[in-house]
This record gives sequence, structure tokens and C-alpha cells, in this order.
Amino acid sequence: MKRDFLILICFLTSVVGLILIYIAAINLEPKQIELKDVTPELVGRSVLTSGKIVYKKTHATGHLFLTISDEDTKIQIPLFAGFMNILKEVGLTENDFEIGLKISVSGLVDEYQGQLQIIPRRNGDIKILND
Amino acid sequence: MILESVLLVFIGVAIGVFAGLIPGIHVNTTIPLIMSLSFLLPSPYYLAVLVISVAVTEMFIDYIPSIFLGAPEADTSLSVLPGHRLLLEGRGHEAIKLTILGGIGSLLVSLIFIALLANSFQYLYEVTRPYVQYLIFGVMIFMFITEKNLKKMLSSILILSMTGIFGILVLNSYLVPAQEVLFPSLTGLFGLSTLIVSIFERSSIPKQKEDSRMLISKKEIVKSLILASIAGIVVGFLPAVGISEAGTMVQYLGGSGESRSFLITISGINVANDVFSLVSLFLVGNPRSGASVAIQGILGELMFFDVVFLIGVVMLTAGVASFLTSYLGKIIPKYLEKMNYKVLTISVIIFITCLVLFLTGPFGLLIVFTSTSLGLLCSFLEIRRSHCMGILLIPSLLFFTGLNEVVFSVLGI
Repeated sequence: MKRDFLILICFLTSVVGLILIYIAAINLEPKQIELKDVTPELVGRSVLTSGKIVYKKTHATGHLFLTISDEDTKIQIPLFAGFMNILKEVGLTENDFEIGLKISVSGLVDEYQGQLQIIPRRNGDIKILND
Repeated sequence: MILESVLLVFIGVAIGVFAGLIPGIHVNTTIPLIMSLSFLLPSPYYLAVLVISVAVTEMFIDYIPSIFLGAPEADTSLSVLPGHRLLLEGRGHEAIKLTILGGIGSLLVSLIFIALLANSFQYLYEVTRPYVQYLIFGVMIFMFITEKNLKKMLSSILILSMTGIFGILVLNSYLVPAQEVLFPSLTGLFGLSTLIVSIFERSSIPKQKEDSRMLISKKEIVKSLILASIAGIVVGFLPAVGISEAGTMVQYLGGSGESRSFLITISGINVANDVFSLVSLFLVGNPRSGASVAIQGILGELMFFDVVFLIGVVMLTAGVASFLTSYLGKIIPKYLEKMNYKVLTISVIIFITCLVLFLTGPFGLLIVFTSTSLGLLCSFLEIRRSHCMGILLIPSLLFFTGLNEVVFSVLGI
């Protein structure tokens, strides 16, 4: 009886915890910062930033690699094939990301081969700011 | 260079002993702190030596808090962990010595296996990659069907599903930085929940026996070491499959469920996996553990002589750490016997909770609350704690089947 009660309590607290984590996860927005402030200390954290596309390369497997820049800083934005499929659902293809366009991007800061990159994951994580 | 490296090994051992004795501190929590000291060291090799010596030392020392803390009453708990079982028999120091034997033994055996198979790893890695999702699914099925009855099988499905949902949410949200999220998650599932169960049951650890001979046959030792070394390397190929699942599978398939061989096996898998992770940087170019990710970040592409040098560091550290682990494993219980176990356990719980709050903030506290509830649920359902590894298994399964984007889109995360 005591054990059944403890199981019930633990089950309920687990469910409540999961619900609270879910509510927090869908409502929490990444920190908005300038591109120049994206530094190695932010690796593993989520940020929202913006910059102009200065480099674009399409990979045969469907990945699209962009580099965005402000005056001094350059950050890579890898858009992996799975993410490109998500963008297609909202009408964005690789042709929409032209060099010179300003975009906003949010995602996880990562470091690959010494280069900082921001990896977007959701369809709202990348937006074209001007035409 | 050699003299400085040896000195750094001893500094790393000292840091590893300190961090390893603190319950709940995983090596993946210590390594970022070590990395932040890089400005003090003139060469990246010195930083690599420090990281490896801390990581290897913690691997040995970690067994001291995990065996001497969190022990339940043997007669009230049906799922006493093997290390706790020996502690309750007054043979805690023997349990520590078995983990040392497993670690040192499999370090040597796994190096032999790695040397023999070195040319095949790239091929094996590429061949197994398309089938990883089936292998992960197979591991999950194995974990279900080896539970004792239908009720426990259903309970294990419940725990795997709930920890899986938990993993999807915490690993793919912005609540806690990616490199810190496993700390509150695993601390609650495996650490705090075990400690909380024990405070309801135990007021002191039983008097430990002076005799700490290892009561296990040579044949069983050799079998455990060989199986642990193979399993440690195999785990290196399978993302998300943890040491505890591999240990359970080895014990089941190897036909030996005895506490002593289990301790040798678990420790052996842990060390073999870490050695393979390091070597895989050179052989496969892919890091397979927190320490090897750090080494790749420090040294970049590894050359053959880098690997030989780092293996030398691992062996020197393992030698010193095993001596210290045995010594501390002998003297620490003498102090614990005199202490109020409940007060000690409650203090450790408060300390870990404060550490979670300090390192990961209020969302870390929410995560540790949920993971502790899930760990306690698993404990009260009296099923194997390794089902909680759903936190990594389910997200990995979704990733390798390509279903993760669909799930994220449905959940809106």
C-alpha cells in the first residue's frame, strides 16, 4: 500500500515536471545579441542574431552552408538537409538565400574546426529581413 | 616535456580525486572547468595531459561515493546495486578493489584488442552506421524482455517512454546550455533518487571487514575482463547505449550475474570505452566521449605518436589513481562507520541540489526535480535503473530514423 502510494506520488510529480518543462521549452526565446557578440564563450547556448549573407555553398547531399557577416565578424550558418526540408514547408528554398540579403537566425552556437557557427532547427529560426 | 607531463599527471590526479569524491560530479562537468584553465598552460599538449589525467582519475575514484553512499537496507529493497550488496556484507573495500581490477585489467586487454583490430575500425564504423537505429532498438527490446515478469516489462516501457519524452524536451530546448544539460538530468535519474531512497532506510553503514580479499575465481576475472573490453569497444560504436545497458547485456549473455563479476565488468567497460574513445579520434576521426571531444578541441587532428603519448598518460594516471582509490576505499569507510549516515546523505543531497542551481540556474532545478521523480519512480517500481537511459536512447533513435524533425514539429519545440 505504502509502495503503491509512493509510485503514484512519483508518477504524478514526474508528469507535472514534464508538463512544466514542456511549457518552459515552447515559451523560452533565445537571447538576442549583435553578431559581433557571438563568441566562443557562448558555445552550447542559444542566441538570436542577424547579418548579411556573404557566402553561400550548396552541398550535393542537400545541405546549404551560409556565412553571415556584420562589419568585422563572420559566422557560419549550416542549414542541414533535414532543416532545408522543413524550410520548404514554409516556402523557402536555397534560391531564396541570396548573397547580400540580411537574415535573422536563432539557434545553438557551436564550434566546428575552429569556426563559430549557429545551427537553426525550427522553421521560424531563420528569417529573411529584406528583399 | 616528459617531466612537465608527469607533474601535470599528478596535478590532474589530485583534481580528479577531489572531483571524484564529490557525489554527482561527472567528468563532463569537470572537463569544461579544466578547459577554462588553458591560459595557464603554455602548450595544448599540457592541457590534453591535464584533461586525460583528471578524466581517468575520476573514472576510478567515482566508485567510492557510488559504493559507500546511497546504500539501502538489504531486506527492504529488492533492487540493491552490486556495490551496495557487498557494502552491506561488510565488504565495501573488496568492491572497490574489484572495480580497480576491472579498470586496470580492461585497460590492458582493450589495448590489445584495439591494436589487433585497428585497421578494421573505420570499415566497421561505416558498415554499422546505417543500422545504428536497429541496434539501439534491439538494445531497448533486450532491456524489456530481460525483466522478470510482464508487470515489470510494462513498468520498464513506462519508464523508458517517460525518460524518452524527458530527453526529447531537455536536449532540444533552450532551458539549459547544451553542454550542461546532462548534469541535472543524470544527477536526478541516477544520483539523487538513489540517495533519497537510502535516507528512508539506513542510519549507518555496517561495520566493514578487515579482510578485503577478492572472493572471485581467476577464470571469472579473465572472462569478465575480456567481455568488458569487447563491450567497451562496441559501446563506442553505438551512440546513446550506456555502460549500464552494456553491463547488463554482458552479464546476461555471459551467463554470470554475480555482484563481483558485475563490478569488474562495469568498471572494465567504462575504461575500455574511454580508451577506445581516445583511440577512435585517430582511427575514425570521431570523438566518442566528453574527454575525447575535449582532446579533439585541444589538439585537432591526432597523429599516431600523439595517440601513443596520450595512452602513456592514461596508463600512468590509471596506475596512480588505482593506488589512491584502493587507499581511500580502505580509510573512508572507517570514518563513515562513525558518522550519522542519514545526516551525511541529506547533506550530500542539499549540496548537489545547490550545485545544480549554481551551475544550471532555476531551469536546471526544474530538470533535476523531474529527473529525480523519474529515478524514484523507477526505484519504487523495482526495475533496473538502466531503463532511465531512455533519456538518450529515445532521442538517438529518433535522430537515426530521421523522425526527430517530425516530433519537434508536432511538439512545437
